[in-house]
Amino acid sequence: MNILVCISKTPDTTSKISFKSDNTEYNSDGVTFIMNPYDEWYALVRALEITEQNGGSVTVINVGPATNDIIIRKALAIGAADAVRVDTEAMDSYVVAANIAAHAKSKNYDMIFLGKETIDYNGSEVGAMVAEIMDLPYASYVSRLDISGSTATITRELEGGEEVSQIDGAFVLSAAKGLAEQRIANMKGIMMAKSKPLTVVQPVQADARVSAVKYAVPPPKSGVKLVDPDNMDELVRLLHEEAKVI
Amino acid sequence: MAQYVSLDTLRFLLYDVHKVEKLLQYERFRDFDRNAFDMLLDSAKTWADQDFYPYLREMDEQPAYFKDGKVHTHPIVKKLFKEAGANGWLGMYFDTEDGGIQLPMTITNSVFHILEAANNHLPGYLGLTSGSAHLIASFGSDDLKKTYIPNMLSGKWAGTMALTEPQSGSSLSDITTTATPVSEGTYSIRGQKIFISGGDHEGVDNFIHLTLARIDGAPSGTKGISLFVVPQYRVQDDGQLVYNHVKAVADFQKMGQRGYSTVHLVYGEEDASYGYLIGEANQGLKHMFQMMNGARIDVGLSAASIATAAYYASLQYARERPQGRKLQNKGKKEATNEQTLIINHPDVRRMLLLQKAVVEGALSLLLECSLHVDIAGSDQSETGINSKLLSEILTPVAKTYPAEMGRIAVNNGLQVLGGYGFCTDFVLQQYARDIRIMAIYEGTTGIQSLDLLGRKIPMENGRALRLLSAQIMETISSASNHENLAPYANVLGKHLPRVQQALEYLFPFALQGDHEDYLADATIFMDLTSNIIIAHQWLKMALAAENALQSGDSTYTEDFYRSKVHTMKFYFKYELPKTSASLETLLNKDKLTITDTYNDSIF
Ligand SMILES: Cc1cc2nc3c(=O)[nH]c(=O)nc-3n(C[C@H](O)[C@H](O)[C@H](O)COP(=O)(O)OP(=O)(O)OC[C@H]3O[C@@H](n4cnc5c(N)ncnc54)[C@H](O)[C@@H]3O)c2cc1C
Repeated sequence: MNILVCISKTPDTTSKISFKSDNTEYNSDGVTFIMNPYDEWYALVRALEITEQNGGSVTVINVGPATNDIIIRKALAIGAADAVRVDTEAMDSYVVAANIAAHAKSKNYDMIFLGKETIDYNGSEVGAMVAEIMDLPYASYVSRLDISGSTATITRELEGGEEVSQIDGAFVLSAAKGLAEQRIANMKGIMMAKSKPLTVVQPVQADARVSAVKYAVPPPKSGVKLVDPDNMDELVRLLHEEAKVI
Repeated sequence: MAQYVSLDTLRFLLYDVHKVEKLLQYERFRDFDRNAFDMLLDSAKTWADQDFYPYLREMDEQPAYFKDGKVHTHPIVKKLFKEAGANGWLGMYFDTEDGGIQLPMTITNSVFHILEAANNHLPGYLGLTSGSAHLIASFGSDDLKKTYIPNMLSGKWAGTMALTEPQSGSSLSDITTTATPVSEGTYSIRGQKIFISGGDHEGVDNFIHLTLARIDGAPSGTKGISLFVVPQYRVQDDGQLVYNHVKAVADFQKMGQRGYSTVHLVYGEEDASYGYLIGEANQGLKHMFQMMNGARIDVGLSAASIATAAYYASLQYARERPQGRKLQNKGKKEATNEQTLIINHPDVRRMLLLQKAVVEGALSLLLECSLHVDIAGSDQSETGINSKLLSEILTPVAKTYPAEMGRIAVNNGLQVLGGYGFCTDFVLQQYARDIRIMAIYEGTTGIQSLDLLGRKIPMENGRALRLLSAQIMETISSASNHENLAPYANVLGKHLPRVQQALEYLFPFALQGDHEDYLADATIFMDLTSNIIIAHQWLKMALAAENALQSGDSTYTEDFYRSKVHTMKFYFKYELPKTSASLETLLNKDKLTITDTYNDSIF
């Protein structure tokens, strides 16, 4: 069973967010980048578990410049067998999806996994686009996946319940919390990652269809207010008038 | 999850200040690159978030305890040994042939900084296991290596260092545990060891106590001490494990590090406890020093890491707690104005900056010291020889400064919380208790100071000190080329000769054989020297930050770099001037603590 896992690079969750170029561009000065946690913790690890149980191998793919090799090597350290990087800027979701689909078409992967969204732009778009371009079934926000022969049983969390469905044959899946448990890149994996193949391929023709007009950060948090436990009225008033949550 | 460590500061220190990548030129570290180091630090942080930090408070509230002949600890200890073994954390710095990956000590210690900051009750279990397995790897026979190292590095068995006895703590020359020859290399060990960290718990199947004892008929003093591997269960020729009669008879209940077990061991009371000699007979203390030097850096690191966690905890509080109104330069404080956050009060900022200055200065020194250990072990040229000397002179300081000043830093952190600092609802009081041991075990501050002034300063006719001074002068000269740093470089240049001034006063005592006069104020000499050494670290950090700012390096934010320069200035204003007081005390001729001059009646 061969699985393609799409990984992207996102700012570390503790990074301070700011913008430049008249608030149309993210300011990456001083920011540490990481592999998108939904890609790493859930999509990649579940793919590894499946190949460990059923044989086959996991390939990771990233659309982006050479500076992204850092997160690709992390995926290899965690256990992916090889990697592909499409050497172009990820201008929008369409450029990413078109390039992933172009690579995957010739390779006959049994499954294509990615995280349910990236933690920076939260677009949740690439998976659906890849499935559409490749004309494959798409299961989004999957929190559980069981494989039996060529049938995949998929559980999705819904508001107040869950949905269980089955897919036969190849498909695209976006991973949500619960699909797997985070794995730590261990010493041996880190040392082996350097010798695993990372193929750099040229992008296909695909033009971005979306451009950012403006970004804005939420207003800063103010200090904590301590309310006397006996003064519930004051608490209610603050929650209502200041925090505006009730 | 609350912040307890800064990976940005750690990376800045590693790559920008200490240029750890220079190690990659050596054959031993050829397989690494910066990316591999970063990934390791990243993995350590994830592990720390998952399995260290969440148990910090629980391990304090439910301490390790002794019951029915066994020490019981938090269940995470067992899980940790398993994970550490499976993921290779225990053999990081070992030679590949011994099952390691030859990771530089500098990176190993960076990993431990993260783990210690997350939960200081846990890394000691792992560090002692690695350290004692490393002693076996360094001095043990092939048979001993085969039997013990794989089992220890896989986390199945734990290691300890068993030195202290009821009558022999600071002074190991008084050890009385005996070793009676049984057969070639095998001895029957009898005696008691107290305060043995990680000496018993439920996390592993066997304990391997690296034990100091005296072979029958050996000379008295340190020249008659040998080093033995004494397992709790020994391996017979047929591979079976049999009980070796090393028994935990009690534990010690402590004010801090309560989740880290401390055990009283008895050897050979009911039946023979076999011990296997490692290295040469009567050279045990010398061999043990390999582990002790590493452990001293580990203790300093633990202190710096606890103080780091305390700094971030108090910083978070200061950013959220409103109290009082801001002092205005013009006009009066208006009671009708909104309360300000306490971080805006100058005195709170002073307490926060003091913590930052101490913890980052200490960490920087510890990494530099580790780097010298790495270079000393890989470079055959003069550079390696110099690094060996520098690591030796810096080790007592790298143990003591974080322990002593870290304790003060944590107390300032506690103070930032006001009344809540004193309450168990907040973690600061725990850090204040946990860090207290650091100035005691692995040689007290008094003993480290004797080591510095009595051994490391005079060693090779003062060569280590000359090397260190030359390095400080080099930084001063580089910093002098920066307009912003030149005044500070100049100040450090004025403070540096104070060490020499103190020694010029003290050396004549040593030359006349008046050792008590020479060493009586060794701890004050430690204060003076460590203050200058940490000021040097800060000038180096400021230099790296200033270079980054000038070259437009955007690895970190401008604020980040500016904060380093700012904290250097803070250190130079609030801490460095204390060298004057230290020097004044050292030069004062009154002999107020020497027993020959005054007897017990003064108390
Ligand atoms: C929690 C804990 C864990 C420990 N873990 C271990 C372990 O794993 N293995 C191990 O072997 N030991 C361990 N120890 C023992 C520890 O190393 C000793 O407690 C320490 O070295 C001090 O020895 P002591 O307690 O006998 O104090 P003492 O030696 O009695 O010292 C008492 C005081 O006298 C001072 N003093 C003593 N001699 C001199 C001198 N010559 N000049 C100036 N001042 C002096 C000391 O600085 C100290 O202030 C541990 C101790 C504790 C509390």
